[in-house]
Amino acid sequence: MDNGNSNEPIIVCRDVNKWFGNFHVLKDINLEVQPQEVVVIIGPSGSGKSTFIRCINRLEEHQEGQIIVDGIELSHDVRNIATIRSEIGMVFQQFNLFPHLTVMQNVSLAPRYVRRQPRRNAEEVALQLLARVGIPEQAHKYPGQLSGGQQQRVAIARALAMQPKIMLFDEPTSALDPEMIKEVLDVMKELARSGMTMLVVTHEMGFAREVADRIVLFDEGRIVEMGSPEHFFTNPQHERTRLFLSQIL
Amino acid sequence: MSGRTPDFYVAPSEAPPSRRPPVTTIGPLGWARANLFSSPVNSIATVITLGLVVWFIAGFLSWAIRSAQWGVVTNNLRLIGSGLYDRREIWRVELATAILVLLTGLSLGIWGRVARAAFIAVLVTLGIILVVPIAAANIPQPTIHALIEPRKAPSDFVFVGYKGDTVRFALAPQTDLAALDEPMIGFVEMQSRAEWSTQARQARSGELDLAAYNLVVSLRLIDSGGRTVTTPDGLAEVRYGADEPGGALEVTLPADGWYVLKVTRDDEANGERDNNQGYAWLRIEGVELFSSQEGQTATREEEFGAPPEIERPLYAEEKAYRFEGTRSFAEFINLQIAPFFERIAMPLVLGTALFVNGWIIGTLGKRERAVRRWTLLGWLVAAPVILIVLRGFGGSRALPLVSTSMWGGLLLTLLLTIVGITASFPLGVALALGRRSDLPVIKWTCTLLIETIRGVPLITILFMAKLIVPFFWSGLSNIDLTIRMMIGLTLFSAAYLAENVRGGLQIIPYGQIEAARALGLNPFLTTTFIVLPQALRAVIPAIVGQFISLFKDTSLVAVVGLFELVGIVDTIVSGQPIYRPYQREAYFFIAIVYFVISYAMSDVSRRLETSGAGSLRK
Repeated sequence: MDNGNSNEPIIVCRDVNKWFGNFHVLKDINLEVQPQEVVVIIGPSGSGKSTFIRCINRLEEHQEGQIIVDGIELSHDVRNIATIRSEIGMVFQQFNLFPHLTVMQNVSLAPRYVRRQPRRNAEEVALQLLARVGIPEQAHKYPGQLSGGQQQRVAIARALAMQPKIMLFDEPTSALDPEMIKEVLDVMKELARSGMTMLVVTHEMGFAREVADRIVLFDEGRIVEMGSPEHFFTNPQHERTRLFLSQIL
Repeated sequence: MSGRTPDFYVAPSEAPPSRRPPVTTIGPLGWARANLFSSPVNSIATVITLGLVVWFIAGFLSWAIRSAQWGVVTNNLRLIGSGLYDRREIWRVELATAILVLLTGLSLGIWGRVARAAFIAVLVTLGIILVVPIAAANIPQPTIHALIEPRKAPSDFVFVGYKGDTVRFALAPQTDLAALDEPMIGFVEMQSRAEWSTQARQARSGELDLAAYNLVVSLRLIDSGGRTVTTPDGLAEVRYGADEPGGALEVTLPADGWYVLKVTRDDEANGERDNNQGYAWLRIEGVELFSSQEGQTATREEEFGAPPEIERPLYAEEKAYRFEGTRSFAEFINLQIAPFFERIAMPLVLGTALFVNGWIIGTLGKRERAVRRWTLLGWLVAAPVILIVLRGFGGSRALPLVSTSMWGGLLLTLLLTIVGITASFPLGVALALGRRSDLPVIKWTCTLLIETIRGVPLITILFMAKLIVPFFWSGLSNIDLTIRMMIGLTLFSAAYLAENVRGGLQIIPYGQIEAARALGLNPFLTTTFIVLPQALRAVIPAIVGQFISLFKDTSLVAVVGLFELVGIVDTIVSGQPIYRPYQREAYFFIAIVYFVISYAMSDVSRRLETSGAGSLRK
């Protein structure tokens, strides 16, 4: 379960296939993610990118293939799933903060009840994380009183409170006003610089170019092209990649 | 403005200051204009509605103040409050109430916010309740009328008087027809009333000649020791006959105690009794009728001793008289409101004192964990303790058994409601969660239970609880009827609650659950901390509405043989003949009780909605 050897990939996906009913949404996905690597996943809507990263923390179940996270294979075994989930943090497009709890309670809930930390410790850590994402003064407000950018940063702090090894981002800035996108991207950049393994689904090409170690293009359920940012933006090989980039840039 | 849109516009660097809106759009004038008179149709509707409201309220108040007899409520407060609960053990009901009031005060102090307006309103109400009886003591008593007949021996009027009271006994012969049309206002002795109706009818039809009045009557007042009480002038007895047919004896009473007005008719003055003719009203002013309720009789006898023994007594007690004519507002306060307030004043003051004490302790100790813990512990312990104290044990000397079939009135209503609410809430939530479960067995069981119970009227469930359950399980036939009713009410309420909660569960966005899962929360933690708080908060209006319904549905147990509030009032007005004409007053009173408690529950609901995260909601 531990991963001392930095050459071992922290996420391994082999021939992963998923169906929604009869609809084949993920086709033969093969991907390896190294520790501390930042992988940005791009692609048109409906291409399966969100479904894919939701498979990593078992919010969706794959029908064929293997997904191995930090040495543990994802299967129907519930204990494995619980262990995996506490090592992976996820940030959603719709923030999904708990509206009936204050910001402080949102961030400290999981450490208190899953990790059994005493309240004072959990709140201390929560305050530190809120300071790290830049909003320590909002600790006692309710999510409904914050702006979108602040809410997403709280969501990031909440995910970080469990001290995950991997962070998944599902289009974190797609629901934000342009003025607030920058503050969230700044937090994500700082996170990447500090050495977190990140899997980010996004449309923010500027972010991808600046921070990504690797960029993956999904289309119609399969990986079309994968490479470094330089490769991707200056010399895309696949037809589909060129088409996609021409529309987006 | 020139009318042409300029091609180029730059705003001045400073924004203009905000101004107040025009007067007629804000404030009371603006509100009236926008809501009541916003269009011709609205204006007409407003005028019509206001007219109807005023007419209705005026009509109601006129009845309530002038002719309604609220004694049916005042005299039966114990029955209304606790049913047939053993009179000697009422202290246990009072103890239970005291415990609850104290706990409520504590809880409100610790966790509640009391609006200053509510506080002041309560104080003012209490002040009124205490002051009115005292002020009413100065309002003169209505006149008491008793008929003196020609051939029937007159009765002696026995009453309780107080030192310094001025009482006046007037003899008023009825000698002409014009007197028949004078309205009588005050208390009329019931047999006199009956007799006089007959005579008045005969007089009008000519059969009886009122002018042929020839009675000779003497009046003399004696005290409890048999001594005559004299007027200030020294007059002891007045005699009315041919030369002075009518007059009055006015006396100031020397001491508290029983008094007897001896009314003597001299038959020999006319030769023999059969020669007597004519009728006269004896009008007594300044005397208060006393109640014949057991508790009051005992108190009175303690204070003044037994009434003097005489041959033909006419006691000044309420049940022998009927109020005639319309009362003035002052009389309404004196006769109807003051006695009621007097009865409730002491318990109300004690209760308020307890409540305020609890509230002060709660407010001061809000931050102390010990205070909070003890209060919660208090609530947990209070429930079984109160039930045990109320029920008692067979064979015990200190707490003799008072079986639950004796519990009644408001006590039973509140008991059924509180147990119903407390038990049906967790059951309803469990059923709702079960219905949404993935496991087919649980899901179908819960669905079946909910739909079956919802498909049947409550009264059917109560009858089944009473009759059918013992039939199926003979071991259960000894279960208290009250407990069976509680079970029936709980099941009924839980089924409806389950559907309300399920509605709330459905509005939780799935993303909430995903986020909880992603954080590592297991299904139990997710439900407890994320789903249920949001779901329940969303359906607070529906849930509290269900509880308010439950509170009023408890009245149905009257059909099954338990005497809760409605049942006991029914018994009072149909069982006791003297209260039979006063059904409107009695039912109106319990309507007020139901309304006050229901409104309090609605208010709690509103406060719950706006607490915590709900404060962001409109």
